[in-house]
Amino acid sequence: MTNAVSRREFLNLLGAYGGTSAVIQAGTALGFMPSSSRAAEISLQPSAGKKVAILGTGISALTTAWELTKAGYDCTLLEASHRPGGRMFTVRSGTVIDEIGNYQRCEWDNDPHLYFNAGAARIPSIHSSVLKYCKELEVELQVFVNESKTAWIQDDALNGGKPVRNTDYSSSMQGFISEMLTKSFGDSQLDSSLTKSESETLLGMLRSFGDLNEDMLYKGSIRAGYGSGGFLDHGTKKDVIALRDLLKTQLARNVMVTTNEGAGSGPLLMQPVGGMDRIVYAFANRLGDRIKFRCPVTEVMIREDGVEVAYEHNGVTEVLKADYCFNCIPSHLMSGIPNNFPDEYSEALNYIRRGKAYKAAFQAKERFWEKENIYGGITWVNAPTQQIWYPPHNIHGKKGVVLAAYNFGGANYTEMSQEDRIEDLLKHGEKVHANYRQMAEKPITIAWHRMNNMLGCAPRWARNRGGWSEKEEQMYETLRQPVNGRHYLIGDQSTQHSAWMESAIQSAHYALADLDQRVRSEAA
Amino acid sequence: MKKIIAATALTLSSLCNIASLAAEGDVGVAAAMDDRYCNTCHGVEGIGNIAVEAPRLAGMEAWYLKRQLENFRAGIRGTHGEDTQGIAMRSMAAKLSDESITDIVAWAGNWEYVPAEVTVEGNVNQGRTAFQTCAACHGVNAQGNEALGVPALAGQNDWYLITQLRNFRAGFRGSHREDTYGSQMVTMSKTLRDDQAVINVVSYINTLQK
Repeated sequence: MTNAVSRREFLNLLGAYGGTSAVIQAGTALGFMPSSSRAAEISLQPSAGKKVAILGTGISALTTAWELTKAGYDCTLLEASHRPGGRMFTVRSGTVIDEIGNYQRCEWDNDPHLYFNAGAARIPSIHSSVLKYCKELEVELQVFVNESKTAWIQDDALNGGKPVRNTDYSSSMQGFISEMLTKSFGDSQLDSSLTKSESETLLGMLRSFGDLNEDMLYKGSIRAGYGSGGFLDHGTKKDVIALRDLLKTQLARNVMVTTNEGAGSGPLLMQPVGGMDRIVYAFANRLGDRIKFRCPVTEVMIREDGVEVAYEHNGVTEVLKADYCFNCIPSHLMSGIPNNFPDEYSEALNYIRRGKAYKAAFQAKERFWEKENIYGGITWVNAPTQQIWYPPHNIHGKKGVVLAAYNFGGANYTEMSQEDRIEDLLKHGEKVHANYRQMAEKPITIAWHRMNNMLGCAPRWARNRGGWSEKEEQMYETLRQPVNGRHYLIGDQSTQHSAWMESAIQSAHYALADLDQRVRSEAA
Repeated sequence: MKKIIAATALTLSSLCNIASLAAEGDVGVAAAMDDRYCNTCHGVEGIGNIAVEAPRLAGMEAWYLKRQLENFRAGIRGTHGEDTQGIAMRSMAAKLSDESITDIVAWAGNWEYVPAEVTVEGNVNQGRTAFQTCAACHGVNAQGNEALGVPALAGQNDWYLITQLRNFRAGFRGSHREDTYGSQMVTMSKTLRDDQAVINVVSYINTLQK
């Protein structure tokens, strides 16, 4: 492969993205370091005897129940399904997957290492509230490996469809980006925008970033690993992948930024030892029989002095009367539950769209990825299955659970039978690992927008890519105010950064602070 | 209070989480996993849910509900690639046994009808005129006619009626060769000139009492 791209082509390419001055302007805005975040200190006024109805058992509900119980409130949690945790869901031997029209029971080996976090799966080091509870409830954590440079990228349009190591791709891309920017230094616009010292700093960085040679050209890098030798003998560089070839896949968008998202997957990531639901059960075990399972809510009525929640259990309708209600039932399900919310509150609830997402996993007969020098991280594929994750725990163990698909959107999987879904993941996976099909045992699949009592993944507020509209901000504020000071909507639906446990917990803390203020002012 | 919690926490942590994790699986196995999933999408007692675009079942004629379930199961409905809501129904219905359908229809028969909320506003007068064509089969009060195999329209969620009229007009519903009733609707829906006409006729149906 060659790397012939003329200087003119580089400059044209740069120009297409707004020219060098635009690059410099953007650069000044990128100077942020994420501020360190600290978990809120929750110090509720002890309030013995006040009754609280908590609807759902997602992490926001569990947090609420835990904090209120510690302060002496009398909490009852109503859970529609057979298990706690909502979208914090770990699948292991015996787990029931209650997807509508696709009921499954996981039949993997009964082994503590063999589990699959089908919903929330990663805890970033800056998500202080999640970590605070892990510490308080003694949930053991381990490091999660999100990026492995030895994992693959596979696209039928790239390298004849043969997988390419992440590192081969990203080293070359990094080299060419550096080379391009370096070449543009002849551009008077750029030269005049920078001082001599700034230019030297930038050039030095670019040379190092791209591993450029003395002539400031990218001619391959040992960062991609050795073509041969490297230990007893001098190492040789691998062939460079030509820029034109690199540009044949759209996957660069994922490959080049896996570890760069500051608010999410950028910081060091962790996972609980044994599965994400260790956090759920750490709460649930302590809350004990305050949680009532198989109790779908059938009506929520806000009264002058409290809240009445009707629910069904074993075919009988019961009514729970409480002073306060904290509700993490997904907004799109609340639309089907009779209530007496004010019109603008209902309008805002109905506005939030349910997210759709699909995940799949299987138990691997052997840890085949380790034979390919992969010990965690993500392989990116240009197929509906999108990602393959390798378990970072139980290294060199016998088996492991592989995430075989993670599709944001996932709607196309709705109509697929389980057999077709399995064939889909095997077909795409074996383009990366030749023995994939032989290694895969008992695949399971989960379309979150089809899960019973859930019907959605991360809620979506903003309808325009540009960000939240004024009306959306208003509706958001409407839902953050408790109805009649009695009914609080919680969960990541009640935040501006859905899909993270941290957001859900912070929504609970926000509501608890409001409640505490009311209780204190009543007492005063 | 705090003392009690601390003691509970201690006892439970000594039991180890594994106990409860295993119990979760057992609960799942013991669960009476029948096919009564309807209310998750269609709302409590089938009142309908606009947020997931699942229509009202409460008050629906038993014979029509049965036919719909059988049609979805057979793939006569819910298999057109553009029929998003129908596909969602089809993937559940595909799994139903005759016994399940009988059970669901009987269960749904217990749900009390409550009037659907009006969510659209069109020209009722123009809708009334257009509805004369519909009335030939669906009845002057849109009450339906079992002998002709046509369902009631009055009392149904207006947004659902609009979706289905659009689907029939576009051929997303009613194009399957075995969908005899649907194919009639594909033809008849085209007598509505445009989308505004669809909204108008549904606005008129909103004025009819079930």
